[in-house]
Amino acid sequence: MIPLDELVLFSGLLFSLGIFGVLTRRNFIMLLISIEIMMNSAILNFIAFAAYSPAGNSLLEVSGQGIAVVLIGLAATEVALGLAIVLALNRIIGSVDVADAMQLKL
Amino acid sequence: MVDYFWYAFLVPLSTAIGFVVLGLGGTFFKKGGGFIAVIAEGAALVFGVFFAYQESLSSTLYHDTSFVWFALPDGTSFVMGTLVSPLGALMLLVVNIVGFLVVLYSMEYMAHEEGLPRYFAEMMLFLTAMNGLVLADNYLEFILMWELVGLCSYLLIGFFWKKPEAASAAKKAFLVTRVGDVLLFVGVFIFFTSLGGIVNPSITTSPYPGQVCSSAGINWACAGFTFAPPNADSNVVFLSANSVASVTAQDPNLMTLAGLLILGGAAGKSAQFPLHTWLPDAMEGPTTVSALIHAATMVAAGVFLLAITSIYIGFTPTAALVVLAIGGFTSLFAGTMGLVARDIKRVIAYSTMSQLGYMVMAVGAASLVAIGPGAAMFHLFTHAFFKALLFLSAGSIIHALGTQDLFAMGGLLRKMPVTGYTMLIGALALSGIPPFSGFFSKDGLLSLTWTAAQHYPGALVFFLMALVGVLLTALYIFRLWFLAFSGTEARESSAHPAHEPSWVMRAPLVTLAGLTLVAGFLPLLSGFSHLLPGVQWGAFGYASSGSGFTFSQTDLFLGLASLGLALTGLLTAYALWGNGRVFRLADESPLKGLHTVLVRKYYFDEAYDGLAHGGVLGIARAFDWFDRYVIDGTVHAFEDLFRIASERGRRIQTGLVSSYVSWVVFGLIVLVFFFLYALPYLTSAWGGG
Amino acid sequence: MSLDEILFALLAGTSLVTAVLALLAREIVHTIMWIAILFVSLGLIYFLLEAPFLGVLQLAVYAGAVTILLLFAIMVVKKRIFSREAVTGIGITSVLLSVATALLLAGNALSLPYNAAGRTYPTPILSQSLFLDFGAWVIILGFVVLSALVGAVYLAKESRGRPIRAEGE
Repeated sequence: MIPLDELVLFSGLLFSLGIFGVLTRRNFIMLLISIEIMMNSAILNFIAFAAYSPAGNSLLEVSGQGIAVVLIGLAATEVALGLAIVLALNRIIGSVDVADAMQLKL
Repeated sequence: MVDYFWYAFLVPLSTAIGFVVLGLGGTFFKKGGGFIAVIAEGAALVFGVFFAYQESLSSTLYHDTSFVWFALPDGTSFVMGTLVSPLGALMLLVVNIVGFLVVLYSMEYMAHEEGLPRYFAEMMLFLTAMNGLVLADNYLEFILMWELVGLCSYLLIGFFWKKPEAASAAKKAFLVTRVGDVLLFVGVFIFFTSLGGIVNPSITTSPYPGQVCSSAGINWACAGFTFAPPNADSNVVFLSANSVASVTAQDPNLMTLAGLLILGGAAGKSAQFPLHTWLPDAMEGPTTVSALIHAATMVAAGVFLLAITSIYIGFTPTAALVVLAIGGFTSLFAGTMGLVARDIKRVIAYSTMSQLGYMVMAVGAASLVAIGPGAAMFHLFTHAFFKALLFLSAGSIIHALGTQDLFAMGGLLRKMPVTGYTMLIGALALSGIPPFSGFFSKDGLLSLTWTAAQHYPGALVFFLMALVGVLLTALYIFRLWFLAFSGTEARESSAHPAHEPSWVMRAPLVTLAGLTLVAGFLPLLSGFSHLLPGVQWGAFGYASSGSGFTFSQTDLFLGLASLGLALTGLLTAYALWGNGRVFRLADESPLKGLHTVLVRKYYFDEAYDGLAHGGVLGIARAFDWFDRYVIDGTVHAFEDLFRIASERGRRIQTGLVSSYVSWVVFGLIVLVFFFLYALPYLTSAWGGG
Repeated sequence: MSLDEILFALLAGTSLVTAVLALLAREIVHTIMWIAILFVSLGLIYFLLEAPFLGVLQLAVYAGAVTILLLFAIMVVKKRIFSREAVTGIGITSVLLSVATALLLAGNALSLPYNAAGRTYPTPILSQSLFLDFGAWVIILGFVVLSALVGAVYLAKESRGRPIRAEGE
């Protein structure tokens, strides 16, 4: 069995890479990809902790994996929605560069 | 008889009804509803005379405090009470007799003026307020009425509001009396704070049986109505036995200050030096208004205020001396200006100021020797009649000729004999020639002042001023009379020939002349003398009432001296202006400079203008600067602070998603750090669970 | 060191390297390729953790659907790589923040108290749990997916109305 601390360390590093991507990339699609990396690291965490959960309660036993299933579904939805936003953004401002979508600026 | 006095409110109520009817519907009546005013004031006259008569029989105080105006949490309540006192009863007589005659006179005198309903409505309001003023039972109620009469004075002076002089005279009267009113306010506040708290708890019963004191702040009736003899050791001479006990503990300097502030209010209303400048200008109003408000009643309210203050609260010797000084000085000061005025009404106005000066002086003198201000009130009483008579006669002349310039008149006695002879009676009374009423009252107050001057030598100067004033009085009033009536022809032909007015105007003249004749003898009635507390009579008068002043050679001498001075003045006037002569100063005369000073009214108007421009404008500029740079500056500083902060702050909002994410991540790091490391460390460090 | 751990080390290394490559790639299509490899290796890690259902789900949803969706989006947008933002977008702040996050999470991971004995679950138990214990969650997820997709369709549709005001236009 893979030790839990290695798993959590790995997911933490992956999460940091995702944050790095979100902070540095200005392409909207790249932002989405970075967010997906972060989501994956979180899902990995759930699965890792599910593998080390205490025995006894049936809900607790598999809750990590159950939540992971729900999260994968949500992540897929998020990608679909995000890509729709990319299309709309491309249509409206003719670019998918977040630096061109500055409407939040006062 | 107390039951009668419960109805004392009917006096102001009659005219109040008249005011409402005329104010709302005056235009629906013929001739501006003058007859309604006469009926309303007639009712007030009947009630007023009735209550005055009842008061003269009983000479007690009737005091009703059933209507509480408002109450304070500490138990002090302010009542709109009724106080029927001897002084108030005397004032009721004055106000309503003169008021009725003037309103009657107005019916013809004002008949051709525009805005007649307004005139009568304002007269009714004035009479209501004046009757309310004399029946007021505490300072607060008094001030309310005081301001109302001031308002009416303003409105009526500016009755011919299309004339710029009248409009500015109204403003001037209002503003100058306002100075006095502010002083009065402060004085009353001092009384409230220093006496109110002491007088109330300690005095629970009135000195008069059957009356219970309310807890009103300064309640005149509760302050008592007895006179304490002057105490050589005491710093404060208080006239009221009750108040002596409770207020001798007061700071005499504070009491002096309060007395002087009250004097300031009275000086504003009664046109005493140095707040006298408004009264001559107030003659821009209709003559009837001058007769009623600016001669007989409202200006006398200042004297009334001093009289009641001297009775119920008392002046300290210093304050009383200042009151005496101001009065004595004004009596001479105003007389000199009256000597040179060309306008017939202004001459009488200066005379009013001068006579009010005598009354103020007498109040001060009475306070100094600690007796009642009866002498001043008696002069007020007689003066009201002969001064109203003089004004109404002057109004009769103005009505006939259409001019107010004395030098345009002349030889009117043949054409207007009734006016001429009634005015002569008024002039004789004013000069103090027996047997007219002015002699008795003036003799009384001169004698009183002489007595005071013996106790306080400083008063002697002002007594002498007043004596010189007697000479001047006779001089200027007979100058007026000779210029108007003697001779054969008018010096300038007027538009319409002179004629006697109709009986509506003649009747008040004759009535007032009759009253002028008999008023001096009224104290022979024992009841009437009840209305004049502490009155002291001179040589030709009556024994003084229980104050230890008796007939003496001094009094005889004083009476003869004042009579001699008056006769001197009369004869001088005849020599200069009698028989159609017109005395003018030659241009090279050394007195010409003095004449100019008098004609320019001692440059008081210019001085006050300069004061306003220099002082008030300077203060205004200072305030403007303060407002602009300190108050606005503070506001602008806050404005700048927030503007700059928001300008800097909005730079956080780059609009760039990355930067927002940076902040989110930063927050995330802080949160994770806090919960993972800082919080466990802190809880363990503080020994928490 | 067991086979599991060796395989995990390999797969984890692959994941991190592909993630870095994906983030630094100039061509966005290359990014998709690297990210697909990342998703696959993650799915393999799930198999290693004896969660085969999730591994399959990962391969199907991420390595399959999401990757294809991203490619499709790139195709529709028809924009090649945006050269001006390739490496120049890396600022000191973002590096610092990322490193701080990494340090924080790593520190936390290495100090985790845990029982060394791992456990496994047969897939039937997971499926039972999903439809019994997580029934409500799954139904809610269904509604969320439905409404999100409707929204996505609406957003992606060519709008006939007035476009939103934007500086880029």
